[in-house]
Amino acid sequence: MSAETSSKSGKTVSGAGEGHSRAAVVRGISEELAETLDRIAGELGGSPDLKMRKLLIGTAPPVQAAVVYISGLSAEDSINDFVIGSLMKVNQAREQAPDPGGESLMEYVMERALETGDARIKEDWNDIILAVLSGETAVFLNGYASAIICDTRDEEGRAIDEPTTQLVLRGPKDSFVETIGTNITLIRRRIKTPKLWFEHLTVGEASKTDVAMMFIKGTVDKKLVDEVRSRIRKIKIDAVLESGYIEELIQDKTFTPFPTIYNTERPDVVAANLLEGRVALIVDGTPFVLVLPAVFPQFFQSPADYSERVDIAILMRLIRYGSFIILLFGPSMYIALTTFHYEMIPTVLLVSLLAQRENVPFPALIEALLMEGVFEILREAGIRMPRAVGQTVSVVGGLILGQAAVEAGFVTPAMVIVVSLTGIASFAIPAYNMSIAGRIVRFGYMILAGMFGFYGITLGMIVTIAHMNSLRSFGVPYLSPFVPLSFREQQDTLLRLPLWFIRPGTVSPTRSGENQTDQGKLIDSGHEDNLSPAVQAKGKTGLLDSTEE
Amino acid sequence: MGEVRMGIVQCFTLAMLFELGTAMVVNLGVDTGKDAWMSVLLGGIAGVLPFIGYIYLYRAYPDDPLSRYSRKLLGKYLGGLVALLFILSFMMMAARDLRDGSTMLVMATMNRTPIFVISLMMILSSAYVAHKGVEVLARTSLLFAVIVMLIGGFCGLMMIFSGKINLLRILPLLENGAWPVLRSVLVQNYMFPFGEMICFTMLMPYLSDSRRGPWVIVASMLFSALLLSLTTVMNLSVLGADIVARSPLPLMPTISKISISDFIQRLDVLVVMVLIIGVFFKITVFYVAALVGISDLFGLPYRTMAYPAALIILFLSVMNARGFTEHLDEGKRLLYTVFPVFTLALPALLIIIAALKRHRSAPRPD
Repeated sequence: MSAETSSKSGKTVSGAGEGHSRAAVVRGISEELAETLDRIAGELGGSPDLKMRKLLIGTAPPVQAAVVYISGLSAEDSINDFVIGSLMKVNQAREQAPDPGGESLMEYVMERALETGDARIKEDWNDIILAVLSGETAVFLNGYASAIICDTRDEEGRAIDEPTTQLVLRGPKDSFVETIGTNITLIRRRIKTPKLWFEHLTVGEASKTDVAMMFIKGTVDKKLVDEVRSRIRKIKIDAVLESGYIEELIQDKTFTPFPTIYNTERPDVVAANLLEGRVALIVDGTPFVLVLPAVFPQFFQSPADYSERVDIAILMRLIRYGSFIILLFGPSMYIALTTFHYEMIPTVLLVSLLAQRENVPFPALIEALLMEGVFEILREAGIRMPRAVGQTVSVVGGLILGQAAVEAGFVTPAMVIVVSLTGIASFAIPAYNMSIAGRIVRFGYMILAGMFGFYGITLGMIVTIAHMNSLRSFGVPYLSPFVPLSFREQQDTLLRLPLWFIRPGTVSPTRSGENQTDQGKLIDSGHEDNLSPAVQAKGKTGLLDSTEE
Repeated sequence: MGEVRMGIVQCFTLAMLFELGTAMVVNLGVDTGKDAWMSVLLGGIAGVLPFIGYIYLYRAYPDDPLSRYSRKLLGKYLGGLVALLFILSFMMMAARDLRDGSTMLVMATMNRTPIFVISLMMILSSAYVAHKGVEVLARTSLLFAVIVMLIGGFCGLMMIFSGKINLLRILPLLENGAWPVLRSVLVQNYMFPFGEMICFTMLMPYLSDSRRGPWVIVASMLFSALLLSLTTVMNLSVLGADIVARSPLPLMPTISKISISDFIQRLDVLVVMVLIIGVFFKITVFYVAALVGISDLFGLPYRTMAYPAALIILFLSVMNARGFTEHLDEGKRLLYTVFPVFTLALPALLIIIAALKRHRSAPRPD
């Protein structure tokens, strides 16, 4: 936008007439109705779904007016009844009104005639076009360099359905849909406090996607909200079609397999997280809502933990952590045991394992990579499989491939057991992105185990944990509250303590227990990870590591 | 610029893993026979004394690592030289531990893998963690301390259940009088592993709690001394002093005695795991101490020297001795000649100068 045209006012109309050829850069609109309508039609390429209803307002003398909207995006019934209908009645109404003199026709229409819920006067061309494109209706009056925007958006969308990815046996069965308005309602319905605030942001040069940032005032750390807002504002992208785009652009560190932002399609999960002081980002067009900051233990929580009895919930949660460990180390342990550390295996079992291996030409590592690779292919194919053939293929893939591979001497039966165990374990993790992270890291462990046995696994483990320790989600250490250790916050991590024990207001993602400095450190580290140990130089320079990665 | 800080629990676990490091598996205080556990315990207590001196220096300069206050105390050139010597000694110690650890691993399990490859893997992981910084190292130590304690607890329980412990084997106490134990403490056990705590002078500026932090490290030293002593008691009571004296890694045969209904047996791989974790943290702490020193002394960003330093340590470890016997021999010589200079003499010099300086700059009543 050039500087001379960016003077934002509707009073530039005098220049707008001559400067018609530069229409695209003129921000004001013309007072001439016909010219304005031509310009809109021209800008949208004469699209057939653009409706421009011209009418006369029956004042004396009659004033030409036009109602502009896009059919399909707008609720045409309400346009007919409340916009066009009320414009038609202006004549009689204005004569009956006690003092029509003082105000302009535009103000009169706006304040006394239009019967829509939300209406505002806009003078900026881009605002008007954007409003029309988002399903609102623009009312132009001849002789006025502005338009009235009426909210007639038709939130056409899928009905609220059961969640498809995060199922629970007991708990609410509704899930988010693609329309942002509905999603906000679903959350509001659960938290009826005026402190539930949300801010509206727009992301994407072309898509102008609505993003709602929700938080509970007073519970949330203000610095967190500011940081999220500023990171979202910094986004430069053409289109945001899914919340994953936002996730990728605002996360602290991009080079890691572990997710540092949680996503969910369950309103109850979002509500619970908001109450714990987190921020939710609802992106228009997707049922997946982002929750941040996210720490590692959060990916192992399931809403069912709170609907079941405590003992059951604890057991289930431990099983989930256990499955993650099996997922990471299952195949690599098997490789290490059979390749390097036979002595760990009880003798009888060892004999039977070796008897199996006798027919297999590959080393255990190749065997495992082969089977895990096949399993990954099956899983990827399963997502895309049409529902009708899905069952058949999984039977063919799982049963026949496994059985036949054993009989053909490709793999040992024990390997099939290990691979299917890790496969099942990966589904026990409630968060899909965490299970993918585990699946990726698992391959690294397998190769390390094949080359170095337990030595490789242990080193890999150290590096993985160090890596996780270096991660932060919006300033919060990823492994907290395990590291830095905080006993006060252990009530809902590895175990879930009874609800009467969890005192309200003690769970906060931004509070880190023993390490007080982390609190001050929150957020100000900005986008990069700032973990370089620089001794505070007192008057000395050059020691500080100022080069960030 | 985020501040890098070690919490109290983290610095406890870091010091603990550092102490246990290789000491857990190797033969400590061999020459005292049945009383080795006493010399280990006393060595721990004796090792605290120099550390109290380091705490004195830390109190005087709470924001500076050793390499900086040495320059403040001794002047730019002499102090710089001392700092450089310390950095070299840390790298040397890291290299020696790398060699120790790799050789032990080769002896214990991986006898067909070249030692260079094992060292390379170790130093690469170490470099990754060091690259991430002191804070990440300290945090990582917390989780691994838990793992080591779990393994220790499990092995201890299994050992008790399998009934292999015979405490009569460590009797009689002080068979040859108190002198051999004291001698061993004075010659060796105050230094290994407790004298090596000198490298924490480089890390203490990162403590989040400068008042309690150093004493937490002392507590951690005493706790590790207790653990090491208990381990030695276990080795002696399971194997007997004779076998312990003859085996290079006595914990391995000890643990492999565990057998419960022929199912839980050969747990020595867990010892290998403890060994790997311990060696890793020992090397990395020395390495990070050297890196902090380098970045402080030469004014380089901390990260730029991470990988070059890794290379230096790796080649030092490979080239400093032609064989393991020579390596051990050299270790013995260093233990009597070089290490006391760094753990006792130079710090003592610094302490004296610091005390004089503080005395002179103290406000005089006039």
